[in-house]
Amino acid sequence: MSDKSAMLEDMYTAILDGDADVARQLAERALEAGMSPLETIDEGFVPGIHEVGRLWEEGEYFLPELVTAAEALKAAMAIILPALGDSDRAQGKGRVLIGTVGGDIHDIGITLVGTMLVAHGFEVTNLGADVPTAQFVERARELDADIVCASALLTTTMLGLGELAEALARAGLRARLLVGGAPVSNAWAEQIGAHGYADNAVSAIKVAEQLIGG
Amino acid sequence: MDKVAWWKPPLLLDGAMGSLLFDMGLERGQAPESWVFEHPQRVEQAHRLYVEAGSDIIQSNTFGATPSKLAAAGMAGQSALVNRTAIEIARRVATAGTIVAGNIGPTGLLFPPMGTATEEMLLSEFRLQAEALAGAGADFINIETMYDVREALCAVHAAHATGLPVFASMTFEKTKRGYFTMVGDRVSHSLAALYDAGADVVGFNCSVTPTIMLSMLQEARPVCTCPIIAQPNAGNPQPTPTGVKYDAVPVTFAKDLVALLDAGASVIGGCCGTTPEFIREIRQLLDLRA
Repeated sequence: MSDKSAMLEDMYTAILDGDADVARQLAERALEAGMSPLETIDEGFVPGIHEVGRLWEEGEYFLPELVTAAEALKAAMAIILPALGDSDRAQGKGRVLIGTVGGDIHDIGITLVGTMLVAHGFEVTNLGADVPTAQFVERARELDADIVCASALLTTTMLGLGELAEALARAGLRARLLVGGAPVSNAWAEQIGAHGYADNAVSAIKVAEQLIGG
Repeated sequence: MDKVAWWKPPLLLDGAMGSLLFDMGLERGQAPESWVFEHPQRVEQAHRLYVEAGSDIIQSNTFGATPSKLAAAGMAGQSALVNRTAIEIARRVATAGTIVAGNIGPTGLLFPPMGTATEEMLLSEFRLQAEALAGAGADFINIETMYDVREALCAVHAAHATGLPVFASMTFEKTKRGYFTMVGDRVSHSLAALYDAGADVVGFNCSVTPTIMLSMLQEARPVCTCPIIAQPNAGNPQPTPTGVKYDAVPVTFAKDLVALLDAGASVIGGCCGTTPEFIREIRQLLDLRA
């Protein structure tokens, strides 16, 4: 195995282990060794996060493992993003505004999705938890967002997603609405007029890519 | 539990509280607990509907009444008063045979790596709530919807210290490898840990249908020597333009809950989506068996 492929393998493992220190060191070493920043992302770290998503679907990984994996990815991305050249940046996939709807105080899910969107080439603005509808609309307009990505974690707050769908449509913005969260289903997403639905962070990336492509 | 005078299983709990309050005018974003001050008579009415439907046990409107959760809802510093007042309201409705449970839900604070909660932090949250509930005259403490056994254990320790009986339920979901909480706690391990920490009755609530809860119960039964509590949701949530409706009908739900008793549960009740109508149907079946 070449040094490079060994290093890519280590990146994959660092994400799987949720080891932010190792992920950061690997990112630094890779750049020092002249490896292309995009290659470290696409062939090292991102395959790791995809495997984490698969293990979650299999019931092998749970929230703590998802969170530490995302932290490790974030640590690596903090080193790699500044090293991406202009040409690499130019292939940015789109601007995403992300947050949980009003009343929902947890931002774990959207932070996970946000980190992964960044790793997949999206430009992400994270509004955090408990975001009023009006703020989503205002920021989506300011940023000329391609996608608004919103989640609700409770059956009592999920109505906020419907409110957001209506408000975005009323405001005449071009942003596509991608929704998720524990109580949310595909049927519900369709019913409220969202453009996409994802039940986990890995599928959120796929859906976001489809929304941009379509 | 055998030394407790009111312990005469099977015992029937009440159903969902929040949804009844929403029907009575509680607004989205408003904490249900705020109504113990703003609309005590409506909270009282919700309890009354369950007593009339045949609940043996009614639960105080204090699911979110830990100090930090109330603070997040704009009610900082009011935990002791909310918990006391809520028990007083439930007591007003209780008939001679009604058992009043002091209800405790999760704080919303998460342990690392998801958050920064510590055991000391959560113990002090639950101590304050449990002591207020006990001081106001709760017959026992019912801890529910816990998703991290570390937090559930803090709640059990705090509740146990009041000297009252403690029931503790966690919420598990189905994965390809069996039933786990969202942080990866397994059914058998979790319930055994709660019992070892001093819970008198342990079990499940929320997240799943009665049928799924039945198979959780079957998994737990061989390792649990203590009584078991089971409170499933009213089926699966279905989207509607105004919110979520659960798809189970009261008659079928009641039969499914009796099946939980047959599989070894001692205490049954309903979680999300259940109403006094569901409780009435279960009561009828229980009376037929008595």
